[in-house]
Amino acid sequence: MTAVIRTEKLTKSYGSHRGIIDVDLEVQKGEVFGFLGPNGAGKTTTIRTLLDLIRPTSGKAYVFEIESSADPAAIHRRIGYLPGEFALYDRLTGGQTLEYFGNLRGGVDKAYQAQLIERFDLDPSRRFREYSKGNKQKVGLVAALQNKPELLLLDEPTSGLDPLVQQTFFALMRESVKEGGTVFLSSHILSEVERSCDRVAIIREGRIARVDSVDGLRDLAHHQVELRFAGTPPADEFKKLAGVSDIVVEDHLLRLRVLGPITPVVQAAARLGVTDFLSREPSLEETFLAQYGRESAEAGAAAGAAGAK
Amino acid sequence: MAAQAPAQAPAAGSPLLGHVTRVSLWSRLYGLGSVYAKTIRDSRLAFLIVAGLLGGIMLAGCKAFAAAYSTPASRLDLQNVIDNIPPVLKGLYSNPVNVQTLGGSLSWKYGPMFGLIAGLWSIVALSGTLASEARRGSLDMVAAAPFGKRRIAIEKLAAHLTGMVAAMAFLAFVTYAGSNAFGTLPGDALPVSAAVGFAAWVGVIALVSGSVAWAIAPFAGRASAAGVAGAVMLGGFVVSGYSTSVPALAPLANLTWFHWTAGDLPLAGQYDWISLVPVAIIAVVLFAVGIEAFDRRDLGTTSAIPVPAMPGVLLGVRGPARRAFGERLPLALAWGIGLAIYAALIAASSRSFADELNKSPDTARLFTTLFKGYDISTGGGFLQLMFVYLGFIVAGLGAATLVAGWASDENDRRLEMLLASPLGRAWWAISGGIGVMAGIAVMTAVAMLGIALGVAMAGSDVLTPVAGALVIGLYAAAVAGVGFAVGGFFRNTIAGETVAVIVIATFLIEFLAPLLNLPEWVHGLALTSHLGQPMVGNWDWYGIVACLVLAVGGTVLGGIGMRRRDIA
Repeated sequence: MTAVIRTEKLTKSYGSHRGIIDVDLEVQKGEVFGFLGPNGAGKTTTIRTLLDLIRPTSGKAYVFEIESSADPAAIHRRIGYLPGEFALYDRLTGGQTLEYFGNLRGGVDKAYQAQLIERFDLDPSRRFREYSKGNKQKVGLVAALQNKPELLLLDEPTSGLDPLVQQTFFALMRESVKEGGTVFLSSHILSEVERSCDRVAIIREGRIARVDSVDGLRDLAHHQVELRFAGTPPADEFKKLAGVSDIVVEDHLLRLRVLGPITPVVQAAARLGVTDFLSREPSLEETFLAQYGRESAEAGAAAGAAGAK
Repeated sequence: MAAQAPAQAPAAGSPLLGHVTRVSLWSRLYGLGSVYAKTIRDSRLAFLIVAGLLGGIMLAGCKAFAAAYSTPASRLDLQNVIDNIPPVLKGLYSNPVNVQTLGGSLSWKYGPMFGLIAGLWSIVALSGTLASEARRGSLDMVAAAPFGKRRIAIEKLAAHLTGMVAAMAFLAFVTYAGSNAFGTLPGDALPVSAAVGFAAWVGVIALVSGSVAWAIAPFAGRASAAGVAGAVMLGGFVVSGYSTSVPALAPLANLTWFHWTAGDLPLAGQYDWISLVPVAIIAVVLFAVGIEAFDRRDLGTTSAIPVPAMPGVLLGVRGPARRAFGERLPLALAWGIGLAIYAALIAASSRSFADELNKSPDTARLFTTLFKGYDISTGGGFLQLMFVYLGFIVAGLGAATLVAGWASDENDRRLEMLLASPLGRAWWAISGGIGVMAGIAVMTAVAMLGIALGVAMAGSDVLTPVAGALVIGLYAAAVAGVGFAVGGFFRNTIAGETVAVIVIATFLIEFLAPLLNLPEWVHGLALTSHLGQPMVGNWDWYGIVACLVLAVGGTVLGGIGMRRRDIA
């Protein structure tokens, strides 16, 4: 496999403000790679560094094995980019805007451009300032896709799009990959990453928290279990079991979280006379939120303890 | 859309791409085919305005001079008048060389004005061409195109240079044609070399001013870059001009390109081409600095020039009027300080001017004849002569920027959020207008302080010129009122521009009407022609009432208009 994107301890700081710290990533050719993180985690900073729009404070970024700041034009020639926040030219129509960005790449396949415009249901005759937020996003997406780039770098691409247009976008993305392209997609919406990506990196407070396949992340996941008993739930019996945490008792209901094999919990529940049993495998979104929330809480607790000393 | 030639080859480096339509040569030069072409396309209106303005002033100057001084005797009188002008007045003009000829006279009286107007254009264009696009967010997508940031900067710069060269070619043509068409005495018709030499001086002076803004913009952003470059240009002009009458300024004057090129007066038949070389070198170096800075720095990241934080009480978060005032206050203070510094300089100079008059009774008699009704040797009189019209222009342009700020609530799409609160459209417009008017009051008050300081230093009556500055503030409020009405009834995107156009048109009417002997009613179209001589206490109450009506009425009309139209 060939790495299309590779970063080595990529760090960017904005004076006293954190940007990204020691980011190590590798995206293979033909992958749809999701870059997940909450707002302000460092997703946009990473993408802008890959494109040499901003320069790293330390570390290196390679795209197509070309160092990003050594020959950015060679990289740009092969990519399509959609910024997270952009505003284009108010007085140009959507069609003129697409023509301009096509021209900046030496020309455009008009037939494919027209096809994209039609599939996105975009009216290219209106001025950019007259477009709704979603239509502005469509213009940006067509501009990124119209040159059939080898690598698509998309910063929160579905922002402002309605569900139908989102489907169109994901279909186009799959077509791009089928033709040999690679997609690097940032998002804070886990469900769309779960639906569309092969692998995922989670970035949190500027650092990569985890890189794995979507299924791999789900394996990390827990089961959310609800047990109903006729009498008072025997919470202490479950506390002893490996992988069980977050036990909550509400009347006859016992809620708990199970990390790893669920069999010991099932056996204990049967032994202790459970009247109802509900186990649910959480979505990636819940997994991420649980993981992220717990680590944040632990970090907060550690900071509090350190402060108390 | 520009015509494009089909081609069968795929674009280089894009193996996934099908058959592309290549970009035509014409489209790469003008239109949407390249960064250069689009920048040329975007700057066409500014080019037409600047070229038209410079050409118009040159043509009007040629015609007016030829009509007013058509005999050798009249030219001799002119020479005598100019010879007797004291150094303090000479500071605003160029070197008087061969002023008996059409070219020499135009060079003396209007030469610097051409450099300043073209320089202003260059500063505005070069401070904003990259910085404003970066701020908007569109530059990210442009910079992701398959060429480096350096090439983007070079193409943007090349487009401005093209516009400047074209404007200067037009100026050279008009200068040559105007002098040959209107010249009445031998020596009036200028050779091509003089016209080209003058245009070259204007172009170089303009570009070096713009290059300062260009070099600073990647570091400090558009507003700071334009401010610093404007201060360097205007400061250099004033310091160079006044270095003769104020010896203390001489060392500083040696650092200005106005001083270096003071001997290059092609219209007067005096050439000093070599003096342009160091100026051009500085411009090239600063252009290179700007290009490299843009290439090496993070895109859109600027370091703000540190300014004191606004006191919490002035932030104005308690209501729309206070918010409008708080938002506009730094700008109002900046305009006020600029006015105050210039007024203080002029007023303080009145003492030296009075001394000059005392030494030369003939000159004193000449000025008494020219400026009837007031004593120009006083601080107020000198301000009336030297400051008040510039004061109207600066205060008017200040009002334009404040109105543009008011309009930005709608233009920047904040208004929808504001109006989602229990705040009526009319009240938003009117209260915002009140905030702007308060800003104009601050600007005027600061200017008054400068006037008071300068006049006190000269030992003249302080009260009269300070009160006279109120009229300048009223004029600014009046044109702001027109801006509110236009913004309210039509579109806010043109509110600030409308005020700027009114201010410039007023200046041109005041400038050209007497020059071209236009009918009195044309001159009367300028609001400033109805404001008397406020610095010496001659108030024209009709004009003042007109200003008040425009200010209050315009604000109210703006509110009514906002109630009637859709929000953009």
